[in-house]
Amino acid sequence: MILAFGCAATFALGLYAVLTRRDLVALVAGAELMIGAANVQLVALALSRGGDPASASAFGLVVIAAMAAESAVGLALIVTAWRRHGRGRVDEFEEVAG
Amino acid sequence: MTTAEIPLAVCVALMLVGAVGTALIRDVTRLVLSLGLFLVAVALIFLFLGSPLLAVSQVFVYIGGVLVLFLFALMIVHRTGEGRPRADSRHDVAAAATAIGVFLILMLVPGPLATTPPADPVAPAAVGDALLGLDLIAFELVGLLLLAALLAVLVIVKGAKDS
Repeated sequence: MILAFGCAATFALGLYAVLTRRDLVALVAGAELMIGAANVQLVALALSRGGDPASASAFGLVVIAAMAAESAVGLALIVTAWRRHGRGRVDEFEEVAG
Repeated sequence: MTTAEIPLAVCVALMLVGAVGTALIRDVTRLVLSLGLFLVAVALIFLFLGSPLLAVSQVFVYIGGVLVLFLFALMIVHRTGEGRPRADSRHDVAAAATAIGVFLILMLVPGPLATTPPADPVAPAAVGDALLGLDLIAFELVGLLLLAALLAVLVIVKGAKDS
């Protein structure tokens, strides 16, 4: 119950950050909260339901790798947007190309 | 709460403190430090759940890699010379209601989770066997994903230099 509460609250806080933050770095940090909480919840769920602990850990590793890839691409986009346009806030990007 | 659950409760409390800081603090430097606290707490929870390999991977990949990336991004994007960088938020009721709704759904769905550490932690060799056995396709896909991410970052940065 403690862990379920912690994961759910962390996921909700991450969602709130993604919905309300205007700074791009803070927005990616909110997404990290959501993925981290989901990872802990899913690994704990697998262990609680009698799943294979080694497979649960392998799954957790896969998610960690995906999180790292997402962060790297997200931060590269943010830095590029800053260098090209001098913008670092969500509400400064109001137009789409095409 | 039993005595065995106290370390888990401390880890969850640390995770929540880090999450609250990451979601609400306006000072960007403290925001990234809060994210670091959250990641350390997640690593401790993995350790509590009997998966030391996951805990070490979390520390190496996240605290040693991604958090440093965040700090570099922070130094580049918030280099204004106008005092401490701040991250604005637009707090509104709809976002809070959405987050609370998701929280309630997540509390209803999963059922009880493990709150006591397992008798035997998962050996890294067993995880390696799983990755190169039944989970081989996932392992290969992760390698492909990381390669794609690396190429994407190079293309994005090169595009910025060319323009």
